Amino acid sequence: MHTTPIIELQDLRVRLGRREILQGISCRLGASGTGKAIGLLGPNGAGKSTLILTLLGFHKISAGSARVLGLDCLSHSREIKARIGYMPENEAFIADMTAVHFLRIMGELSGLPHRIALEKAHEVLFHVGLGEARYRTLGTYSLGMKQMAKLAQSILHGPELLILDEPTNGLDPAARLRMLKLIREMKEEHNMNVVLCSHLLRDVEEVCDEVIILNEGRLVHQANLEEERHTNRRFIELEVTGDDGELADALQEQGAEGVNEGGGRWRIVFPPGMELDVLWQLVARQNLAIHHLTHRRDSLEEIFLKAVGHLERSEKSTPELPEKETIDGRL
Amino acid sequence: MAVYRRGYDRYQGPITGRLSRLLVLPKYSWHRVLQQRLVVSLLVGAMFYPLGCIGFVYLSNHTELLLNFDSGFKEFLQIDGNFFLIFMNVQGVFAIILTIVSGRNLIAPDLSNGALQLYFSRPLSRAEYVLARLLVLLGLLSLITWIPGVLIFSLQSGMAGWSWFAQNWNLGLGVFIGSMLWILLISLIALTCWAYIRRKIMAEASILGVFFVLNAVARIFNDVLGVTWASFFNPRQVIDRIWNGLLGITPESGPTVLGCWVAVVVMTAVLLMVLRRKLRPVEVIS
Repeated sequence: MHTTPIIELQDLRVRLGRREILQGISCRLGASGTGKAIGLLGPNGAGKSTLILTLLGFHKISAGSARVLGLDCLSHSREIKARIGYMPENEAFIADMTAVHFLRIMGELSGLPHRIALEKAHEVLFHVGLGEARYRTLGTYSLGMKQMAKLAQSILHGPELLILDEPTNGLDPAARLRMLKLIREMKEEHNMNVVLCSHLLRDVEEVCDEVIILNEGRLVHQANLEEERHTNRRFIELEVTGDDGELADALQEQGAEGVNEGGGRWRIVFPPGMELDVLWQLVARQNLAIHHLTHRRDSLEEIFLKAVGHLERSEKSTPELPEKETIDGRL
Repeated sequence: MAVYRRGYDRYQGPITGRLSRLLVLPKYSWHRVLQQRLVVSLLVGAMFYPLGCIGFVYLSNHTELLLNFDSGFKEFLQIDGNFFLIFMNVQGVFAIILTIVSGRNLIAPDLSNGALQLYFSRPLSRAEYVLARLLVLLGLLSLITWIPGVLIFSLQSGMAGWSWFAQNWNLGLGVFIGSMLWILLISLIALTCWAYIRRKIMAEASILGVFFVLNAVARIFNDVLGVTWASFFNPRQVIDRIWNGLLGITPESGPTVLGCWVAVVVMTAVLLMVLRRKLRPVEVIS
């Protein structure tokens, strides 16, 4: 079945002044209408915000192409903007305007009829937890409230794609959890696609299904987090008591590899398709008692560090790395 | 069901058209502007002169009421180009003051807290944003410039008859075009000052400076150097020459009317370019 990617970049290059900020990024991310979230990761200055602003048509593309929801960013900027909601990283409000009035204007600018815009403004403000404060001027809001107001204006018109730039910046733990819950709700219950740009790996890990990692304007890693999680589940750390001398052979018979690290500690790699039940049965047959068992998996932090480090190593060892390897950078 | 009891529901209904979206910003801005007492007072104050003009038109068409006055006074009651030129000058000054008072909250609040990126992340271009802000001032200033001017012209045409209209139709057109040109110029100058100067008082002083100080400076330059080209840098004088031309009045010596038209076009282009440069959703520091 043919699906339109949420974002499709083809050798995208963006130059600001004399610096080339995005240096030839190519990727296809997500599928529109599936309610998936894409994480955009990278260290400071990697080009995350520049990429977002380019997708919004705020920066000119110097070479290559970018498509959002199947539409070209240059020639269909207006159509794209009508279908997305954007929450910027920085402050974005009119200080002496009440939240409900501000949202109403934003709704009408997005194309909502005026009566519906007012209704939606109230509805969304209640939904993000600003119902009681909706008649207060935005200038009097705390940082956390301003973040919620920014989220509210981005979802007001029911966009297909939600682009969130550092949505949890400056939030206390409770507010952060609430923000992440709302974002998850947007994609899971309301079927919105989400692009989440953040330097907080835990936020991305909690919300996103796919992730791309940028470093110095290049894409260094693209991963499907669901697949990564599934793949990494095959790494098992086991600690047993009893005579485990025959465990290695028993594992080998099942097609698994086991390394005895001494003291009853084992590292096991399962073959594809093998489930944990098999291990339980093996251990039971050997009369071993399990003290500790973990599905060891790479956290996003490890993936991120490897991706960023991988590029640095690649550059040092092979300065003229083939472009495919640099761009796709699968580890 | 009460709004606070409802959960979020993604809107998937019809959306409004482009023109409707363009008028959103002017609609709310007019609403805000007309809540200011000073603006309403100025609007009322700016109506006194047009009311006086209506009385003047009535008298000039009913000279039988002035039996006790001499013929010189009756000749003074002429509705011609000079009458409308004075009208436009008086209302033009009101327009500057009203622009300063009403327009201070048009652009500056959007720039000071980064609201522009929210506007431009919606289907609204920079050109449409400027047009929307211009429409606010256009609507407001029209109330005290060309609308009463054209009404006075229509009143005079109705009272004086078809022959007067056939001979003087250019006066009505001149009032309309001249006023629109003045509104465009002062609006652009004001929007540019507010976009670039953060402190309101400084921005307002700059707008006054452009119209009054620049006027004096240009005249001094012309007198001291014995030239006329300094007038091209003076919006008031340039517009005054154009008004003279539109109303069929032979102006005093000075720059040509055509030269003044060119000067207005250049000023407008420069102001639009400068505004476009400033009104960006994100600042690029390279």
